Amino acid sequence: MGFSINAGLLDAMVLSIVQNNDTYGYEITQYLRKAVDISESTLYPVLRRLQKGEMLETYDKEFMGRNRRYYRITPKGNDSLEEYREEWRSHKKKIDSILLNEGAEYNEQT
Amino acid sequence: MNKLEFLTRLRNNLERGGLPSDDINDALSYYEEVFLDAGFGKEEETAAAMGSPEDVAVNILRESGIHVGGAPVMPPQRMGGPQGQAQGPAMGGYVPPKKKASGGSIALGIVLGILTFPIWLPIVCVVVSLLFALIVVLISLVIAFFAAAIGLLIGGIVALTEFPAVGIMFLGAGLILTGLVILICKPAFSAVIPAIGRGIKRFCGWVVGLFKKGGKENA
Repeated sequence: MGFSINAGLLDAMVLSIVQNNDTYGYEITQYLRKAVDISESTLYPVLRRLQKGEMLETYDKEFMGRNRRYYRITPKGNDSLEEYREEWRSHKKKIDSILLNEGAEYNEQT
Repeated sequence: MNKLEFLTRLRNNLERGGLPSDDINDALSYYEEVFLDAGFGKEEETAAAMGSPEDVAVNILRESGIHVGGAPVMPPQRMGGPQGQAQGPAMGGYVPPKKKASGGSIALGIVLGILTFPIWLPIVCVVVSLLFALIVVLISLVIAFFAAAIGLLIGGIVALTEFPAVGIMFLGAGLILTGLVILICKPAFSAVIPAIGRGIKRFCGWVVGLFKKGGKENA
C-alpha cells in the first residue's frame, strides 16, 4: 500500500489484461483493483490514450439488449507491452537490489 | 446522485470545456456502460466511487490537452480539441469563453421556434399522426395474424376428430402463422422498444442539461 502507480505502469497493466482476453471497461477496472486502488474514472483516460496511440482498438458486442464496448490489443500494442515488460524487469531488479538487498555485492556497500 | 444526473453533469462540463462532440459521446457511452455493468441498484454507490462529474470532466479535458482554469495544469502533450484559455482561477471551475455563445444561440433558437410556431405545428401534427397511424396499422396486422393463427390451431384440433386431413392442414397453417408472428415480434421487442427508451432518456437528459446551463449562467 502507499506506492503510487504512474501512468506508464497503468498503461502496461491494461495492455496486459487486454492481451489475455478481449474485455470491457468495467471488467478491466475490477481486474486492476486486485493490485491497485483505481476507479472507473481513472481508467477512462488510460483507455482513451491507448486507443489514440493505436495500441488498443474497440468493437461493440451485444449484451442483454445493449452494446458493450470491447477492447482488443493491436500489434503495436503487443510490441509496446513487450517493451514495458522488459523495462519493468530491469526496474524491478534495481529496486529489489536496494530494497531487498538482493545482489548486494554489486551495490558496493560495506 | 443517480446515473442520469451524473451523466448530465458530465456532459455539461465536457461541452463547456469545448471537447469535440465525438469525444464527448465516447466518454458518455463509457460511463453509461460503467453504470449498467455495476448493476441497477448501485447507481449512487457507483457515482460516489467515481468522484464528482466535474472532476471526471477535468481529467478527461486535461487528457485531451485542453487547459482547465484553477488547478495547476501540465502543458498539453497531444493533439486534441480547441484550446480553451485558462481563466478566472478564483472560481476553481472553468468557463472557456467560446462556449458561452452557445447558451445564447439556444435561446435564439427557442425564440425563433416560438415565432414560427403556426408553420411548424401543423407539420409536426401531420407527421406525428402519420407515424402513429403507421404503427397502429402494423400492430393491427400482427394482431390479426396472431388471431388467425389461434383460430386455425383451435379449428384444427376440433376438426382433427372428424376430418383428420383437414385438421392437420389447419394445424399446419396455424403453426406457420404462429411462427411468423414470433419472427416479426421478436426483433420488434428486442430492438425497437429499448431504442425508444434510450431516445426518451437522452431527450430528458438534454432538457435537464439545458435548464441547468441556463440556471448557472444567470447566477
